[in-house]
Amino acid sequence: MPYKLLEVDKKIPQRKNHVYVKHCSDPEDEIPDCNTKTVPGSMSERGCAFAGVKGVITGAIKDVIHVVHSPIGCTSYGYGTKRYPTTPDMPNGEKFPIDNFNLKYILGTDLQESDVVFGGMKKLKKSIIEAHKEFPEATAIYTYSTCTTGLIGDDLDAVAKETSEELGIEVVAFNAPGFCGPSQSKGHHVGNLTLFENLVGTKEPLETTPYDVNLIGEYNIDGDLWIIKDYLEEMGINLLSKFTGDCSHDEICWMHRAKLSLVRCQRSATYIADLIEEKYGVPYIKVDFFSTKYCAENLRTIGKYFGLEEEAEKVIESRMEKVAPEIEFYKSKLQGKRVFIFSGGPKSYHLSKPLEEELGMETVAVASQFEHKDGYEKMKSRVKEGTLIVDDPNSLEFEEIIQVYKPDLILAGVKEKYLAHKLGVPCLLIHSYENGPYMGFEGFVNLAKDMYRNIYSPVWSMLEFEEEPSVGENAEVHEDSSEKQETKPENTGELA
Amino acid sequence: MEHDKKFSVVNPSKMCQPMGAVQALLGVNDTMPIIHGSQGCSTYIRFQLTRHFREPIDVASTSMSEKTVIYGGEFNLMKALKNVSEKQSPKMIAVTSSCLTETIGEDMEGIIEKFKDANFDKNLPIIVPISTPSYVESHVEGYNRTIKALVENLAESSTPNGKINIINGILSPADVKNVKQLLNDLNCPNIMLTDTSENLDAPLSEETLGLYKDGTTIEEIQDTANSLGTISISKHADSAATFLEQKYGVKSVSGPLPLGIENTDQFVNNVCELTGIEVPESVKKDRGRLLDAMVDAHSYNYHRKVAIFGDPDFVSGMTRFTSEMGMTPTVVCTGAKSNKFTEDIGLIASQKGIDPVVLAGNDLYDMHREIKDAGADILIGNSYGASIAEEEKIPLFRVGFPIFDRMGAQRISTLGYNGGTEFVDRLTNTLLDFYYDEAGYELEKSEEIIEEELFAEGEFV
Repeated sequence: MPYKLLEVDKKIPQRKNHVYVKHCSDPEDEIPDCNTKTVPGSMSERGCAFAGVKGVITGAIKDVIHVVHSPIGCTSYGYGTKRYPTTPDMPNGEKFPIDNFNLKYILGTDLQESDVVFGGMKKLKKSIIEAHKEFPEATAIYTYSTCTTGLIGDDLDAVAKETSEELGIEVVAFNAPGFCGPSQSKGHHVGNLTLFENLVGTKEPLETTPYDVNLIGEYNIDGDLWIIKDYLEEMGINLLSKFTGDCSHDEICWMHRAKLSLVRCQRSATYIADLIEEKYGVPYIKVDFFSTKYCAENLRTIGKYFGLEEEAEKVIESRMEKVAPEIEFYKSKLQGKRVFIFSGGPKSYHLSKPLEEELGMETVAVASQFEHKDGYEKMKSRVKEGTLIVDDPNSLEFEEIIQVYKPDLILAGVKEKYLAHKLGVPCLLIHSYENGPYMGFEGFVNLAKDMYRNIYSPVWSMLEFEEEPSVGENAEVHEDSSEKQETKPENTGELA
Repeated sequence: MEHDKKFSVVNPSKMCQPMGAVQALLGVNDTMPIIHGSQGCSTYIRFQLTRHFREPIDVASTSMSEKTVIYGGEFNLMKALKNVSEKQSPKMIAVTSSCLTETIGEDMEGIIEKFKDANFDKNLPIIVPISTPSYVESHVEGYNRTIKALVENLAESSTPNGKINIINGILSPADVKNVKQLLNDLNCPNIMLTDTSENLDAPLSEETLGLYKDGTTIEEIQDTANSLGTISISKHADSAATFLEQKYGVKSVSGPLPLGIENTDQFVNNVCELTGIEVPESVKKDRGRLLDAMVDAHSYNYHRKVAIFGDPDFVSGMTRFTSEMGMTPTVVCTGAKSNKFTEDIGLIASQKGIDPVVLAGNDLYDMHREIKDAGADILIGNSYGASIAEEEKIPLFRVGFPIFDRMGAQRISTLGYNGGTEFVDRLTNTLLDFYYDEAGYELEKSEEIIEEELFAEGEFV
């Protein structure tokens, strides 16, 4: 059976369907159960829909101000969490007056008990007016519902419409309260739909060229987007709109005028590419710029589409000349190292093969917080027989996977990093990076370098518990649990 | 200081109640927090805590979704209690509410009773419900309510233990250690509510894995009813002390946070009065060392303008401490609305002859505006102050929570005589790095600042 019940999941047997070991003779649609509700009390690493829309989709936009309609928590935690830098450059050639405006400010309605009882719409309206007064430079105001305001039924769309007319500035409402959907993925979807319905097609670009593209689902983590932008511009391709890394509000409004959409993060943003294709006939292709091979392949595809094949070759050649010797070096160092990739979604399939083919590593396990069926199919197709594929792993499973699969390196997020450290395994931040960017040719070298530095640091050899007996599939997962059970009588039967 | 801006918060200087609750619970031995709310509450809080403490942090969630929001969260809470009981098997589970479950009026106590009834024949963990609505006050109140709930549910009268209960408030593990050390130096047996010093600054060895292994034990919390007294060094977390005083006659003393000479003296006096202990020579020596550090550093600190933000007891304590050092607090800001805070600052201002802008219930945007007006040579607070410090071209001295852009947040010491000494050295060195050359002479740029000030005061006009 390809589905695997981990030791720690014995008491939650429904987790078995989320853990799959690739078996090549299985039918193709044999993949982990995914995009379903999280089991309560299972210690999931997932976030909420609000985090999906504000933290991923809209947080990267350089010239809007965000008003979170919530008690203090969501506003506080939605502030300064992600690293997506922006330039002050606006499409009309002017400069936005505040650097990295998207990282610097967040507004919230700081709801009090009386607002929960009597409704918070008045307060939201006043806050939006205030946002405009305090930040007159912002091109638009985005406002977000959260668990509480979703529950008390505040009508954000009505407030947005009213304030928009009053202030003469666009006010867009995002209705993704934290409780909707199984994970942050729902928020990505709401973000796509809201931006499409409210903005796309409402403005015209200042100028167009025959080589205009939308780069969709690229959020400029640590400067990823700027690398790809350079390549495309060298080829003669114009980034008409970005969605949403280093982008301005207006760019989204004229996405319908591009000749082609390129979809980078296919989990969080294929929605809008589909909608634009359907309504405006702009075709899209799914692209992958991680690693030299995928990057070259995809630049060639784009070149071919626009008849710019030679230009694409030039870009590839000039970059490969620079990075090839470095990649050779890192390959010699990373050869045979076992890696476990636990990303939010697509990076698990973007990176699994390149790490093996270009750096000689071995991908022993892949996992994702919120990937859907199509993503898991791709993930499965890009790993070899015997690789573990896990949907929404929790911290106990994470621990067991490390102990059983013994990776030399983990690519994951900050919540997992220090648990890995305690287990004596280096863990590189793959959501927001360490010394990125990691995309494109140069980016892949940065990634290789960071992996090398993580694995080869002498600190790991100082740890004394390296020679612990290995944990077999039937052994106790960690010694604590057996000790604990001695001091506390074990429950014999199932709890109700 | 009144502002015309009243409706929204811009860059908050406070968090929600469940955050304070979780911080209190992480100092309790073998205890698992469950947040009864959507998955986001638990994940956001874990994210903040992990990047600050750089430790694995587990906080369970009942992962509420659309349907359960409509029909109530009974199924989810029961399921979470079952899963945590079976998988983690902690000694205690503390269930905090969230804005979501408070808004739908969830009966947490009823559901917990139902769970216990359904499993009456099993060996269950102790389960404590804590009401922490995010739309009431802030994380500081979440901490307060949690300590109170722990004591209400667990404290039992038996034989007098001769100990002092200490309610810490949200401190760095190093500062919890400083308080413990000072009490040990005073030979004062104590119960810390709660003790995060090991769980949140754990050594690297395989044994530290698993559930929070150190911290205040359940037996200690039970025993708080038998202590000589309770000192809430966080004045804003003294509800449990009041409860113990009213129900068990355990004397309650509120404040101060032992930050600086005067506050630490006061704390030591409080301990001595409750216990009849005499201050030992070693503690007197530590006090002398702090005085020595302050005197040695005075010329670099004198009249340096300082802006301070963070939790109310920290900010008022730091206002006093920096004033003792000869610095001039110009702007002091806390996110919590608090009369205690405003009164404390008022008293310090009159005693020390300072006149800071006092912001209570305000945010970092307000603070930044006031700093632009009142000026500051250094900003003391958490990592959210970094962009303000950068814009004002002043150093940020990082203390508080969260600190995610520097290492060692869990090891920042400020409390007691010893923590104070470390603080004085580090703060002064930050000023030396920023305003002085390698030979220890003041750089020209700060002389310019002084001239500007003289002009502003009309000396040369």
